[in-house]
Formats: sequence, structure tokens, C-alpha cells
Amino acid sequence: MFKKYQALSFFLALLFFLTPAASQETFCKQIANYTMDVTLDTEAKMIRATEILSWTNDTGYSTNELWFHLYWNAFQNNMSIFLTEAERRGRSVSGFKKDDWGYCRVESIMVVANPYFQEYDLMPYLEFRYPDVENLFDQTVFSVRLPSALRPGQTILLRIEFESKVPRPISRTGVYKDYYFIAQWFPKIGVFQNGRWNCHQYHSASEYFADYGTYDVRITLPSSFVVGASGEHREKIDNGDGTTTHHFFQHSVHDFAWTASPRFLEYTENFEFASGKRTEITLLLQPEHKRLKDRYLNAVRNAIKYSSLFYGDYPYSTATCVDPAYNSRSGGMEYPTFFTGGAYFITWKGIPRPEGVTIHEFGHGYFYGLVGTNEFENAWMDEGFTSFLDSEIYYTAYGEPLYNRSFFGIPVTFKDVKIPIESSGISGHRQTSNMDVLQRFAWEFLEGESYGANSYSKAELMLRTLKRYMGEDVFARMIKAYSQRNWFKHPQPRDFYAVVSEFAGRDMSWFLDQFVYGSDKLDYAIGKVSSQREKKPEGWFDGEYIKRETETNRYLSEVIVRRLGEVKLPVDILVVFEDGNEARETWDGQYRWKRFIYQQPSRIQKAVVDPEFKLVLDINRTNNSQMRKPNRLALFKWVSNWLAWLQHALEFFTILGG
Amino acid sequence: MKIFINFGKGFMTMGKTTKMVLFLFLVNLLFSLILAVPMYHSLKSSIGTSEAGNRMVDSFDYIWWEEFRDEAQGLERTFTPAIIGKGAILINLESLIQMRFFSAPPILIGFGLLYIILHTFLAGGILSTFNQDIPRFAVKEFLQGAGSHFLRFLALMLFSWLFLLVIGAFLSSVIMPIIYDISSNSYSEIIPFLLVLALSAITFFLLLFIQMVFDYARIKVVLEDENNVLKAAVKAFGFVFKHPFSTFGLFYMIFFLNTAITVIYILVKEIIPQSDILTVLGAFFLQQLFIFALVWIRCLLYASQWELYRYLK
Repeated sequence: MFKKYQALSFFLALLFFLTPAASQETFCKQIANYTMDVTLDTEAKMIRATEILSWTNDTGYSTNELWFHLYWNAFQNNMSIFLTEAERRGRSVSGFKKDDWGYCRVESIMVVANPYFQEYDLMPYLEFRYPDVENLFDQTVFSVRLPSALRPGQTILLRIEFESKVPRPISRTGVYKDYYFIAQWFPKIGVFQNGRWNCHQYHSASEYFADYGTYDVRITLPSSFVVGASGEHREKIDNGDGTTTHHFFQHSVHDFAWTASPRFLEYTENFEFASGKRTEITLLLQPEHKRLKDRYLNAVRNAIKYSSLFYGDYPYSTATCVDPAYNSRSGGMEYPTFFTGGAYFITWKGIPRPEGVTIHEFGHGYFYGLVGTNEFENAWMDEGFTSFLDSEIYYTAYGEPLYNRSFFGIPVTFKDVKIPIESSGISGHRQTSNMDVLQRFAWEFLEGESYGANSYSKAELMLRTLKRYMGEDVFARMIKAYSQRNWFKHPQPRDFYAVVSEFAGRDMSWFLDQFVYGSDKLDYAIGKVSSQREKKPEGWFDGEYIKRETETNRYLSEVIVRRLGEVKLPVDILVVFEDGNEARETWDGQYRWKRFIYQQPSRIQKAVVDPEFKLVLDINRTNNSQMRKPNRLALFKWVSNWLAWLQHALEFFTILGG
Repeated sequence: MKIFINFGKGFMTMGKTTKMVLFLFLVNLLFSLILAVPMYHSLKSSIGTSEAGNRMVDSFDYIWWEEFRDEAQGLERTFTPAIIGKGAILINLESLIQMRFFSAPPILIGFGLLYIILHTFLAGGILSTFNQDIPRFAVKEFLQGAGSHFLRFLALMLFSWLFLLVIGAFLSSVIMPIIYDISSNSYSEIIPFLLVLALSAITFFLLLFIQMVFDYARIKVVLEDENNVLKAAVKAFGFVFKHPFSTFGLFYMIFFLNTAITVIYILVKEIIPQSDILTVLGAFFLQQLFIFALVWIRCLLYASQWELYRYLK
């Protein structure tokens, strides 16, 4: 059976790559194209497959070797880079039995004859490589030497036979009972850039990087399984032996993942997200989450609709959302046209679950999917952009979520406590982001918290600050242009800088550098607010002695604004007087402080630095304002609430005593 | 019928001892205020003269709170938006049942422990007051009674903790691993959720049961001047198992009264806006009334159990 499919796949691959018509109209150059015939053995939890890879050297350099990822080898022993780093971060694997480890083994790798190459066995030239960390136990990257150089523009066709052992759930992949989530599972070619292979080892904190291409995949497994994957589900063939072959196809993507479970509830709908623009949404739902169907689907609709509006029309014909199985560790992850959400069976209005994670992971379809950033090297360019995307879309579609806390596993919302968008990410940034800078390889952050606080939080906050600094309209045009111009490309920070500067009308490096390459914090504060009656003139003035007895009706007021952090940005100041008059100032923030003096018929009521809350990166918002006569009622109100809680606690805990 | 008769008698006793309830309430309030003062200063120092003060009158300034939380040490860590209304009750319930109080700030654990010991002392006064022909509260007699029973009550408290320790050890070393195993192999989160919920309910029931048994042990110590606390506890167990309908019935009747008052408090508290001085004062008054009611119900429980014990003996 397996051999029959191998032969079939080989001919299909040849047909596909040698006849241009078969490649359809694509969105970009198809550099790395995979045709795979896959069989899932659910008894042995093994994947056996034949992969026909057509790879085109789209650079101006020749290469005489090819580099590949074998991501699943990160899970074949506890000495891999991935698991060593995970352990260092306190996330070690424990209790793995012999059958729990996963791996991906190349059984054979052959050059298929084409106009540029003869048939050739590359297996003797397979060599594991260690581009980041010399670790002989790590087999997540290998290379093969070619019989001759592959020149610019030439295409090579390889036939790779491999088998992958599906691991126990780990890092968003694996099998839990009869739920399979299969990601980063096949020998995947690296990216050849500037005459070098960009093919990093699999690290605990990093994600992925690959070239765009076409995936034409046939998956054979027991017929009882419902299957979802990247791309269009083109065909389902009952093999008559209790197995079914599912055919998936997608061009212009850089990865392919799939899932299978007999328990999935499958819902499909055709959604028009903009006039005349449609896509097919598929939701694969766990049965215990059936009541969340509409919330999931609505989240996907909102994600597609607003992402299209803000970042360009979603170009693919499918979007598949998977509600991950409990204990599967596959929630909250993204693959082209295919992503996982995450839900708890009890949720209420105002709790952003499953919406938040669903929107976020769909959003990665833009920042990592369409804008093909290198997640190993520029994590902030996908995580930060996507965090920004998901909060903007969530707040646009649903408004402010409510503070909630779970008691005995039941979430409880507090309707009077709304969470503003400005709080998104600020706590993590405040606490740990100065451990590192944004622009850093994902595995080189001091610790996981710093990776998260920088790549997700700080980058999101930087974008929101930039939005408010540039103005919403300019920013909206800028971010959409950045997105669309870089679809199916691998942008670098400099590409983002260029678009920001273009739309700002001036070089914006001074702004971005402080955040992208700096670890300083932003903190403006009102240092002093005072008002007192103008002094009565007394003494010699131009030779005349004056001593005025009556008080003037004017006040001399002073406001001191301070820059407590090292980040320097221009900032606005609002001073409000008791008679309702206002004064607005702008300060360049270059020196440590600035004094403003006013002579007004009224005292100052309050002074606020950054009154419009443009600088959402400000780590201390509370010190941004001072009232000359502060309102003390809040203190009494909240201390009395806390007091009542404490009184109840003391009384309640007497159950343990008298 | 026995339940209602003795509940009624207990209720009548409470009519004569309002001053005692007021005294116990004031002890609770003053004790709590000792910690409220540093909390006031922490909040004052954080909010300062900021506009956040204005926003915190009208609603809850989440951004201020995150800043406060990120800097919080010790007692300050307990200030969360969840202390409002129902949250306050649920936090305490969950802390007790799931033993989360162990992760509370040390100062709060120490303070709570001190209060429990103090309350153990006061329980002697409460029962001494009921032990009079005509229950009447006088501070001197109350404290004398409290003092005379304190050591025996303290021993009973430690004895009850031994039970709790055994139950806790059994639940955490036998039941929890089973739940963990079932959860690890479960298809959905509903199974572990239900198991944890059931375990919480059982734990709460056991806690209440221990409380009830040791209430009768304390009653026995005072009423019969029993010096052997071990014997008092064993007899109390015997008494409860000999009269399960009466003892459990009375206990749960008062427990449901407590629950009903708590629910009413939550519902009323949540509709008070607390946005100006009058409503803030109104909410404060309601909170104190609620605590007073809880203290009253605790005394009512003692009074009713006292009457039931005498009735059945």
C-alpha cells in the first residue's frame, strides 16, 4: 500500500512540477514545493511518508549543499538544544517513557533526475549540523552535499523518504489519546539567503522560518478520523480498507500542519469578509465545547474581517480553526491558513476566551504567514505585530474585556472593572523587558519572561505608541503598506524602519532605535504643581519706592515636568486651572526636567503630562498627573472595601478555631 | 421539632446578649483596622495626588492597579479588584477550602493565626455568658470566663487541627494524586473541574463537621466543667453521632441562614455605586452591618447548640 502511494506520488510530483499549468496562479514565487504522501499509523503512532521536494535557488548565489530542519528530533532525547534550554527555563520534560519521545528519521534522500541533475543518492552525504550551538546530541538540522553546484535560477528535485514518531504532546505537537496535532513534522528545507543557509537548530524559545511554496499533501489514516490541515481540503478518498486518504493543497505558504481526531465536531461556512471577497471558515471543535461554536466562529469572522481591513484582504480560500484537545498542549499556535485557539468550557460575556487567542493566532497568518519574518531572528516582528493586531481587533470588535478571576474553576467577572487597551502588555514590559533588547535572536534572551516581555509586550506597546504619535490615519496607512509590501517576503527591521519613515515624512530611527535596540524605559512624571498669589511688589522700582498693600487677584503657578526614564520622546502637557482655563505645552523631553510658569487669575487644578495617553510605553502612568487638591474619597472607599474583605476573612477563618 | 425549639431558645438568648455581639464585632473591627492602616498608607503613597484618585472614585483604575500590583510587597498583594462584593467572599472561601491561605503574605498568616487564637479565647467568654441563669453580658465576667477556659479551648483547637491535618494529608497525598491522574488522562477539562469541585465540597463539609463537633466539645467543657479535653472531644463526637439529625439539622439551618445573609449582602452591595461620599459611607455601613450579622450568627450557633446539648442531655 505504502509503496503504491510512493510511486503514485512520484509521478504526481513530476506531473506537477514539469507542467506549468498544474501550478495554477500563485501569489508569489513558489520556491520550496512539497508533494507528500503520508500514512499515519495510529497503532504505532508513526508517520511514514514520501516527500517530493522541488527547490529553486532564487538567489544570486550558487550552492553545493542543501540544509534541512528536522524539528522533531528536538524531542528524541533530553539532551537536545530544545530540551536543554527548556529545562533551563524550568520547563523540563518529565516522565517520558520510551514510547513518548518523538523523532523524524530520513530513510533515503535522492536527487531526482531533471534537466540540471542526474539521479543521485545523497544519503552518504547527510551530515548533522550545529549552526547555533555545538551539541552532538542535537539532530535538528542536517545538510547534504550536492554532486554539483546548484546555480541561481536552477531547480532541484528530491525524493525523501522519512518516518516520524509522533511524540507525547510537547511544544504544540504530538498525540494525546486519539487527538493528533502534527506540526513541524517533516524534513523541511532551510532558507538560502545571501549565499548562506539560514537554518537554525530548534530552540525552546524560537519558532520558525521557511520559504514560500506549494504543499500538495495526501494523508491516509483510519476513516473514523476527522482531519484538518493547512489549505484546501480537496478530496477525500475511501480506500475500502478502513482508511481514508485526505488530499490538501495550498500554494504560497511556508508551512503545512495538520490535525486528526475522531472526536472533532466540524463546522464549515463561507464567509464574505469584504465586498466580493470570500473565504471558507472551518472550525474543528471539541464536543465539550459545542456551546462555544458561535463564539469561536464569530472570533474567526472578526479576525478575518478586521485583519483584511487593517492589513490587506485575506488572500487564501480557507481558514481552519482548531479547538485543541485538553492536555494536548497544542493550543494557541499558528500555521498558514490553519491555527489553534483555546477555550475553557465555562466562559461568560466579557471574558476574552476563546476570542483573544483565536484572533491572535489567526493574526499570525499575516505576521509570519503573509509577512514571512524570520521568527528565529526577529521574533518581535511576528509576535509583537500580532499582539498589536489581536488587541486592536479585539477592542474594535468586542470593546473592553472585564476583569475576571476563577474560583473553584468557575470564572467570575467583575463588571465594574474594565481592562483598557493601554494595559495590554505594559505589566510584562514594566517588570522584565529591560533585561534585553527587542532585536535579539529568540533563544538569546536572558529568560522566558524577558523573551515574552520584549517580543510580545514591548513590541506591541511600541506600535501602539507609534500609532498615537503618528496619528491614527497615517499609522493605519503605514501599517497596511508595510504589511502588503512584504507579503511573501522576508522583511528585516530595516524594512519596517523604511516604511515608518516614509509615512512619517522623516527618518524615524531616533524613535524606533530607542525601543528596538535599546532596553531603556519610558517614564514621564509631573514633579511639582504649585500655585500661590503673586507677590506684592515691594522695594525700589526704577528709582521709585513701591510697597503695595492690597493683594493681587492673580496667581503665580509652577509646574515641573520630569523625565525619569532614559527614553526621550516629545511629550504634551496639559495644565488645567480652577476657573476652567487650560494651557497646553509640548516638551522635547531632551533634558531631565522642564519648568512651566503661569500667571493666571486662578490656581492650578491639575497638571497632566501626556494627557492623551499617547505614550503607552510609559511604565508609570500614575505619576503622569498631579491634582493640587487630591480626592481622598477613593482611599476611603477602597480601604473600606479591603477592610470588609479582611474582617470577613478573620471571621470566616475562625472555623479553624473557636 | 427539637431543632426549631432549640433554635428558638438560642434566638431568645441572643436577644439578651446584643452587647456581647457588639463587643465581638468591635474586636473584629479594631483588629482589622490594625492592618487597614498600613494598607491605607500604601494606597495613599501609590495614588498620591494623581488623577487616579478621581478615577478610583467613579470606577476602578485598572492601569493604576497594575502598577500598584507590580510593585506590591506583603500585605499589598492582597489588594485586587476581586475584593469587591462577591469576590471578597469567594476569595476567603477558596482560600480556606483549597488551603491557599498558605500562600498569603506572612504578615497576614501571622495575623490570622493571632485572631483565631484570640477568638478561641473569646469563645470561652461567649459560652460563659450563656452559662449564666440569665445570660447577660458584662466585660469583666466575659473576660474572666474567657480566661478560665482558654487553655482547654486552646488544647481543643490544637486537637481539631490534628484532625484537619490528617484530613488535609489524606486529601493531598491520596485523593489529589488520583484526581491528577484522572485529569492527566481525561478527554476534557470538565472531569477535573467536577472532581475538584466535589473535593472542595467534601472538604468544606468536613471542615464544618469538625467545627460542629468541637463546638460541642467546648460546650461540654464549660457546661460540665470537663477538664479532660480529649474526653470532651470524644464525647462530642459521640454526641453528634448519637443525635445526627438534631445536630446536623440545627447546624445547617444556621449555616443556610448565614449563606442567605451573605447572598443578600452581595446583591445589595453590588448595586451601591460608591461614587460619592454618601454612597461610600452607605456601603461602609452595609459592610459593617454584614460583619455584625456574621458575628451574631456565630453566637446564635453557639447559643442554639448550647440549648440543644442541654436539651438532649
